[in-house]
Amino acid sequence: MFSGKILALLAVAASSCSLLAVQVAAQDPIDSISPVTKEMLLNPPDSDWLMWRRTYDGWGYSPLDQINKENVGQLQLAWSWGMSPGGRSQETPLVHDGVMFLQNSTHLIQALNAATGDLIWEYQYELPDDVNPNGERSKAIYEDKLIVATRDAHLIALDINTGQLVWDKQVANYEQGFAFSSGPIVANGVIIQGTTGCSNAQPGGCFFTGHDVETGAELWRVHTIARGDTPEGNSWNGLPVESRYGASAWITGSYDPEQNLVFAGVGQIYPWNAEIAGLTPPSSDPDVTNEALYTNSTLAIDPNTGELKWYYQHLPTDSLDLDYVYERLLIDLPVDGEMRQQVVTTGKIGIIESLDRTSGEWLWSKETGPQNVVLSIDPETGEKEINPDVIPVIGETTFNCPADPGAKAWQATAYSPRTKALYLPMVEFCSNTTVNPLDPGEIYTGGGLQTYSRVPHPDSDGNIGQVRAINLEDQSEMWEYRQYAPVTSSTLPTGGGLVFVGTLDRHFLAFDDETGDILWRSGKLTNSLESFPISYEADGKQYVAIVANWASGLGRLQSLTPDVVLPANNPAAVFVFALPDQMAGN
Amino acid sequence: MPAILKFLCRIALVLVFAVPAAVTVAPAYAQAEPEFYDVPYAPGQWNIGRRLDQSQLRYCIDPRQPDWEVAGAIADAVAGALLLEPQRYEVERAFVLENITQVYGIMLEHCDLHMGFKLIPEGYGNWAALTRAYYEAQYVFVTADPDIGSLAELAPARPIGATVGTSAHIRLVSYLGALPREERWPTYPMGTNELALESLLNGTIDVALVWAPSLWAKQRTTPAYADFHVIDPAPLPPTTLGVGALMLADETFLRTAVDEAIAALSQDGTIADILETYKFPASVSP
Repeated sequence: MFSGKILALLAVAASSCSLLAVQVAAQDPIDSISPVTKEMLLNPPDSDWLMWRRTYDGWGYSPLDQINKENVGQLQLAWSWGMSPGGRSQETPLVHDGVMFLQNSTHLIQALNAATGDLIWEYQYELPDDVNPNGERSKAIYEDKLIVATRDAHLIALDINTGQLVWDKQVANYEQGFAFSSGPIVANGVIIQGTTGCSNAQPGGCFFTGHDVETGAELWRVHTIARGDTPEGNSWNGLPVESRYGASAWITGSYDPEQNLVFAGVGQIYPWNAEIAGLTPPSSDPDVTNEALYTNSTLAIDPNTGELKWYYQHLPTDSLDLDYVYERLLIDLPVDGEMRQQVVTTGKIGIIESLDRTSGEWLWSKETGPQNVVLSIDPETGEKEINPDVIPVIGETTFNCPADPGAKAWQATAYSPRTKALYLPMVEFCSNTTVNPLDPGEIYTGGGLQTYSRVPHPDSDGNIGQVRAINLEDQSEMWEYRQYAPVTSSTLPTGGGLVFVGTLDRHFLAFDDETGDILWRSGKLTNSLESFPISYEADGKQYVAIVANWASGLGRLQSLTPDVVLPANNPAAVFVFALPDQMAGN
Repeated sequence: MPAILKFLCRIALVLVFAVPAAVTVAPAYAQAEPEFYDVPYAPGQWNIGRRLDQSQLRYCIDPRQPDWEVAGAIADAVAGALLLEPQRYEVERAFVLENITQVYGIMLEHCDLHMGFKLIPEGYGNWAALTRAYYEAQYVFVTADPDIGSLAELAPARPIGATVGTSAHIRLVSYLGALPREERWPTYPMGTNELALESLLNGTIDVALVWAPSLWAKQRTTPAYADFHVIDPAPLPPTTLGVGALMLADETFLRTAVDEAIAALSQDGTIADILETYKFPASVSP
C-alpha cells in the first residue's frame, strides 16, 4: 500500500510537464506495452482489439475461443468501471498488450489494466463550453500513439505509455457545426478521418481527410459532395455548391492493404426532403441529373493520395434520411461460382449489398427486415425502384418502413469466418412522415425538415428487437431472433461459436452462432447497451467487454417501448465478463 | 397603464405559485425518464439547482438572432408589466446554426423566457411551449435589381435563393410544383438568411427569400446591402408569422401571466413604440 502511494506521487511528479495527463500508478501492462506496428495492424494478435472493428476487413470478429458454447453459461462479471455520465458514448474500447483505452463522453481518455480494471493514466481533453460532451465510436492506435477524434473537430494523439498529448490538430471549425462522431483508421501509415455535422450551416458538405501520423498535418481532403463540371458535379439538379447540403461521413472505414484502398460510406442529403433540398422536380437540362453524389455512396479512397478510385451510390435522391453510411466489410467469397473480393454494407433500409471492391461493380443484394421503400432491385446493376408512395410530399403524410433511425443503424454488423455468416442487429418499425417548416428561430432549427412519427409495423408481432444471421455464401437466412426490446449494440461473433449483442432493456446476450439459441444472458446492467462490444485476452484469460450507455440511435425507439425504463441522467460504464479462474485455466 | 394595473392583483398569485412550480417541475423531466427523442438532454442538468430570487423575470436573448435588441426591450417591458426585475442573459455561443434542443439546457440554467421564436403549429417538442406573439413579421422577397417590383416580374429562368425549409420556402416550392416546368423559377435552398443575402450580393441568385428581420439587421450594419429592396410577393400571398418567447412547458402559471402582459403591452402601444424606435419591420400582433 505504502509503495503504491509513493509510486503514484512519483508518477504525478513525472508528468508535471503536462497538467492534464495524470499518471496514477505504474502498472504491469503499461510497462511492457509495445508499439503498434504497421504489420501488427495488418495481422493483429488474437488477444488484441486494435481498431474499431478489430481488423482492417471490418469483420468485428474475435478469434478467441476460451469462452465457447459449452462454458459461456458460466460467464460472470470480472470487473466494471464507471464512465462519465450523460452524453452519448457509443464506445468501442481498444485493447493492446493488456491495456484498455476508453474515451468517455466528456473526452476524458483513460488507460485501464484490461485484466483488473485499474486506472493506469487519464487525459482530459477540454471541449469548448458550447460543445455538448458526447463520445466517439472509435479511435486508433499506431506506433506509440493513441489517435482520438473530438466533438469539436480536432484530432489528437496521446502517448500510449503516459497519456500525454503528443499533438493536437484542428481539422474543421466546430462553430459551423463540423464535428467528429467516429474516430480514424490508420491505413498504410496515414490517418483517415471523416467529418460529420454537415447540415444547413455547411454549404458544400463534409469531407474525408488524410493526416500525417507524426504531426497530424493534413495531407489531402476528399469532399463528400461532388463539385465541378463533371457528371458527378452535375448530379445536384443544377444547384450551386452553396445550396448543396449533407453527405456527412460519420462512420469509420475499412482498409484493403492489397489494393491500398480505404472503403467508407457517405450519409444522406440534408435537408432530408428532396423537394425542399432542390433536387426535385428534376431539371430539364440534359447535362444535369439529380442523384446528389456522393450521398449514400461507398467511396474507395487511396489513403496516401486521397484519390477517389471509384464510388457506388446505393440510394440516389434519398428523401427519407435512409443513410448508406455504415460499416464496410471486406469479404472474399464466390459469387456465381467465381471468387470475388467483395465489400459488403447494409443501409438503414436493412438491405445487405455487395460490391466488387476492385471495381465498384454491384454484385448482389439481400433484403432482410420488412420495408416498403424499395420496390425492386435490378439484378445486374443494383439500381433500385423506389416506391413513389413513400416519398414525402408537402401537405401530405406518408407512411414508410423503416423510419429514419433505420431497420439497421450505426450498430455494426459483424462477420464470422467460422459460419460465413453476417450477424445483423436490427429493429422493426415504421413512420408517419410529414414535411414541416422547422425554422422556429433564426439560429435554432428543428432538424431535417421532416417529422417522423414512429409507429409499429402493421404486421408486427410486438417484437421490435431482432438479430439476423445471413449466410453470405448463398445469402440465405440461417436464423432470426426476435424480442420486444430493441437490440441496441453491434454484434460480436467469436471463435468460440458465440455471437454477443446488447439490448435496450439492459441485457447482454450470447447466441449460438449456428442456431441463434440464447446460451447466456447477463443480469440487468446499469443502462441500455448502445455501443460496440469487444473481446480480448489478458494474462491468458479471455474477456468480453461492452459499454452501457443510452446513446440515441435505435434507443430512440424507446418511444415505442415506454415500459422499458432507464435510469435518469444516463449513467455510463464498461462491463467486462470472463469465465471463473478455474474454468479459464488460471 | 390601466391594462397593466389589471395584473397587479394576479401578480402576487403568480409569484407565489408560478416560480416554485417551474423550478420544481422542470427537473422532473430528468428524474422521471432518460433522454429520448423529444426530451432534450442538457449536460450537467442534474447539477442545476433551484433558483432563489423570485423577484426577477429571467430572460434570454441571443445576439445571433437579428431581433435580439428589440426582443430585449420587449422582455424588459414584460418584466415591468409583471412588476418583476428583468434579469437578462445574453447567450454567448458561436455556432452558425444549432438544434433547438440546445435551448433546453440554456433555459434550465439561465432563463424562464427565451425570446425570438416563431409560432409554428407542431413546430416544437412537448418540452417547450410558446407565449403569445409579441410581434408579427414576414418572409420577404428581396432583390438588387431596380427593375423588379414584384415576383411576377421575375423571368422564369432567373433563380431564387430561399432560406431553406421556412414556411415561405415550403409555400414557394409547393406553388412551383403546380406550374408548368417552363414557368418555374430555379429555387436554390440556402442554409441561412445570411447566405441567401450574400448569394444575392454576389449574383448567384436574382431574388432572395428571407426573414424580414434578417434583412433589416444586415442593412443596419453592412452598407453593401443598402440597395436591396423588398418586392411584392404576388402571385404568392405574403407569409407572416408571429414571434414569441419559448418557455419550458411546465411553466404554465408564469406563461399565463406573460401572455397577459404581452396582450396588455400590445394594447397600450408599448410594443408598437419599441418596434418604431428600432424601425423594425414587424407589426404588433392583434
